[in-house]
Amino acid sequence: MINGNLKATYAADERVLDNRNKQAFMAAVILSLAAFPLLANDYLILVACQMGILLIAVTGVNVVIGYTGLMSLGHACFVAIGAYTVAVFHNLAGGVPDWLLPLIVIPLAIGVSALVGILVGLPSLRVKGLYLAVATLSANFIIIFLIENDILAPWTGGHVGVNTPVPNILGWEMDSRREIFVLIAVCALGTLLLIQNLFRTRVGRAFIAIRDKDYSAEILGISLMRYKLTSFALSAACCGLAGALMAYFYARILPEQFELALSLQLVAALIVGGMGRTMGPVFGVIVIVMVPEVIKTVFGAATGGDVTLAQLRAPVQEIAFGLLIILFLLFEPLGLVRITDRILQAMNQWPFAR
Amino acid sequence: MLNVQGVELSFGGIKALRGVSFEAAPGEITGIIGPNGAGKTSLFNTISGFYKPDAGRVAFDGQDITTLSPDKRAELGIARTFQNIALFRGMTVLDNIKLGGHKRLKSGVFSALRYFGAARREELAFRREIEERVIDFLELDLIRKAPITALSYGLQKRVELGRALAMQPKLLLLDEPVAGMNREETADMARFILDVQEQFGTTILLVEHDMGLVMDICSKIVVLNFGEQIASGTPAEVSRHPDVIEAYLGTAQDSAQPDAA
Amino acid sequence: MAQFLQFTINGLMSGAIYALIAVGIVSVFKATRVVNFAHGYLIMFGAYFYYTFAVIVPGMEWAPAWLQSWQQEWLVAWRADLPMFSPMAAVADWIANIPRIVLGLVGAVVCNAIVGLIIERTLMRPLMGQSVFAMIMVTVGLISVMAGTASIIWTADADFVPSIAPNAPIRFELFGSMIFIFGADVVNMIIALLMFGGIVLWVRYSRGGVAIRATAEDQSTAYSMGISVPKVFTTAWMLASMTGAIAGAILATRNGISPSLGLFGFAVLAVVLMGGLDSYVGVFIAAMTVGVLEAMTQWQLGGDWAEIVPYVAVLIVILIRPHGLMGTKEVERI
Repeated sequence: MINGNLKATYAADERVLDNRNKQAFMAAVILSLAAFPLLANDYLILVACQMGILLIAVTGVNVVIGYTGLMSLGHACFVAIGAYTVAVFHNLAGGVPDWLLPLIVIPLAIGVSALVGILVGLPSLRVKGLYLAVATLSANFIIIFLIENDILAPWTGGHVGVNTPVPNILGWEMDSRREIFVLIAVCALGTLLLIQNLFRTRVGRAFIAIRDKDYSAEILGISLMRYKLTSFALSAACCGLAGALMAYFYARILPEQFELALSLQLVAALIVGGMGRTMGPVFGVIVIVMVPEVIKTVFGAATGGDVTLAQLRAPVQEIAFGLLIILFLLFEPLGLVRITDRILQAMNQWPFAR
Repeated sequence: MLNVQGVELSFGGIKALRGVSFEAAPGEITGIIGPNGAGKTSLFNTISGFYKPDAGRVAFDGQDITTLSPDKRAELGIARTFQNIALFRGMTVLDNIKLGGHKRLKSGVFSALRYFGAARREELAFRREIEERVIDFLELDLIRKAPITALSYGLQKRVELGRALAMQPKLLLLDEPVAGMNREETADMARFILDVQEQFGTTILLVEHDMGLVMDICSKIVVLNFGEQIASGTPAEVSRHPDVIEAYLGTAQDSAQPDAA
Repeated sequence: MAQFLQFTINGLMSGAIYALIAVGIVSVFKATRVVNFAHGYLIMFGAYFYYTFAVIVPGMEWAPAWLQSWQQEWLVAWRADLPMFSPMAAVADWIANIPRIVLGLVGAVVCNAIVGLIIERTLMRPLMGQSVFAMIMVTVGLISVMAGTASIIWTADADFVPSIAPNAPIRFELFGSMIFIFGADVVNMIIALLMFGGIVLWVRYSRGGVAIRATAEDQSTAYSMGISVPKVFTTAWMLASMTGAIAGAILATRNGISPSLGLFGFAVLAVVLMGGLDSYVGVFIAAMTVGVLEAMTQWQLGGDWAEIVPYVAVLIVILIRPHGLMGTKEVERI
């Protein structure tokens, strides 16, 4: 039980992990992540890698939707840009030594995605809400179309996709998923930290101000144009990183991986986790990845290899996914973060108040 | 300080402002009064940049700002509060006030992402400043971590004033700062407004229906009726002006003048 | 020139179907301020229901034979005299199909109305007065639920469905060039236009329509003036799902039935925003424009490019006219 927050300096008051429980939690998370690649089996590594990649992307989506309040249903296209940048430039950059290539290509993927993010974010200067949602959704369709198109097919592989390289960072060839997990985990933690930092400063506050009341933000000297585009660029950059990691993680990428379904998955994870909170994407991604896995396991056990019943698995997963979105919006629009907040609060005050 | 000349504004066929001209003297409190629908808030929105006037010009500090966007005007030192409180409801009091200092802080996106280093130093220095200049000044220290939604109406108005003060404005536009407040809260707010004028030398422009407050603290008053400027001058002059008495305070026979007048 | 006319006519015909689908989205928006992202899936349900009642049910063992194929003596006799691929043979084939077409349409409309009602009652009503984001995202969640449900119910690969009108090829001359169209397409277009016009007139002049428009202006005022807002919601959703059923049936006869029918809804959403969410006229113009543009793109660049036409068009329109061609701009009070 914490009886109060007694701070002697402003610096102490501005800390994120401002009590011992939070610090202990963070230390435990980092320790278990460090131990994970040594102890976990292949299946757990696979699931954890998927979660890590998705987490980076959802953190990005959180910047635009959760903090800046701009609705986007097209973020999968930035993931696509990141992934294809990696695949394409690995093939183009012949002279560069392998051990250096990822260190050039990953920042490049992030940069290209951020630029596309600014472009796709342009409609946000004119419209908001639903119109923006449809504008971004349209952008997603168009970008996937361009990737599939015959003109770019020599580089992108068109409909059938393209094989992706094995990352080699400073001589460390990451040819197993266990090794790539390390890369993904470091990137995911880094992204979370950077984005968390952002919201301790004027830039992050400006985003939230635009979300809460845009005209009021304007009166404080916040340029809507500049910050909306910055927000889009930052979130696209996160998604670009996620895409780059995806390209390294999977042996092959296909355009259909980056269609509307992925965009919806990103937003769904955010809704389930909680919008505009640092931990929201974390909780959301865990649920959105685990629910289909659990259904798969249950189905495997229940049907015992019956083929006709096993056909029902994919639709059931789809329905569960939709129901997650709907039920959270109906009963806890602020997501799992709000639920954990309430539990922590109750524990804190127990036994005096409920 | 602020010079409004012949401003006209219309929405569709409705003339909201027809040729309003006045000047707000530096360091003084200027009041704008008028019956509901007289165009007071439209005038404020024109001064702060949400509406572009059809004719006339607005000058601030000798610079023509008629066509500048609201955020550019904020940069020049114009702050305002809103009639229906426009605080950021998802944030704490402290964050709301910090937002007022947006334009005075410098850290860019990349130093913000790193946080440790320049951005942190700047944030901490700024925190100290607003604690001293705004939070202590407006007596908000007990609620600095409270979410906006948990505050009473009067306190929210005060936080909004705090947010404007964090901008260190040269000109402060207050749109009905005491509307809907009880007597005690009104007295508090009046004290704060006078303190701001005294301590920071801020020029203040004030829209208000509370005649007592306006007559007490303003050194000059502009009266609008149906978008037209019908009088301007000291409180004493204005309250004797026949047009004002007819349009705003009622006809002379009613003798319904507030005792402050 | 002949090609140009041909593709323009093709474009207008598919534009009419865009308009018919769009009317559902616009009606729901007008009444409830919700933009239904799942409308495409409502249409997909309509198509599957049409398939169920026009193909599966007549094919059941217990179904009477006349339902499967209505072979009157005079019809058989007449059919036998006709040459194989003549227009009249198509008409004769169509007449034999009438019972199952009617059953299909009626079944689709009724079942889709029930689906619409269920959605409205269970999802939309609890969300009355919630944020736009929440309501839109609920319809997005609905996409997955509907897509999953559809693939559980209709597992078999859908095959041929009977077209609503005789599918006779029609050739005629226009401005000196030969035009070739299918009879069914013409009838589809006429159905779509009639329904569109009917709904617009209904919303404009009938009691129920006025209630919808009043609710669109201001929900709480409408409520306090004695208009039952929940009833208006129900009406709008029923209207949308019933028009969706017809549109689904038409699409099923044109492009076949597949889960990708749902994606069609997004293209229509783009069309709706292009025209302006609350303007039937604007949406009609946008639908026709997009239809023609699509046909032109197909002609000049190939079918691949045609599929992104609505999206490119809506992006351009949004950047130039943020509230669509004829939509009303929402004025924010400060």
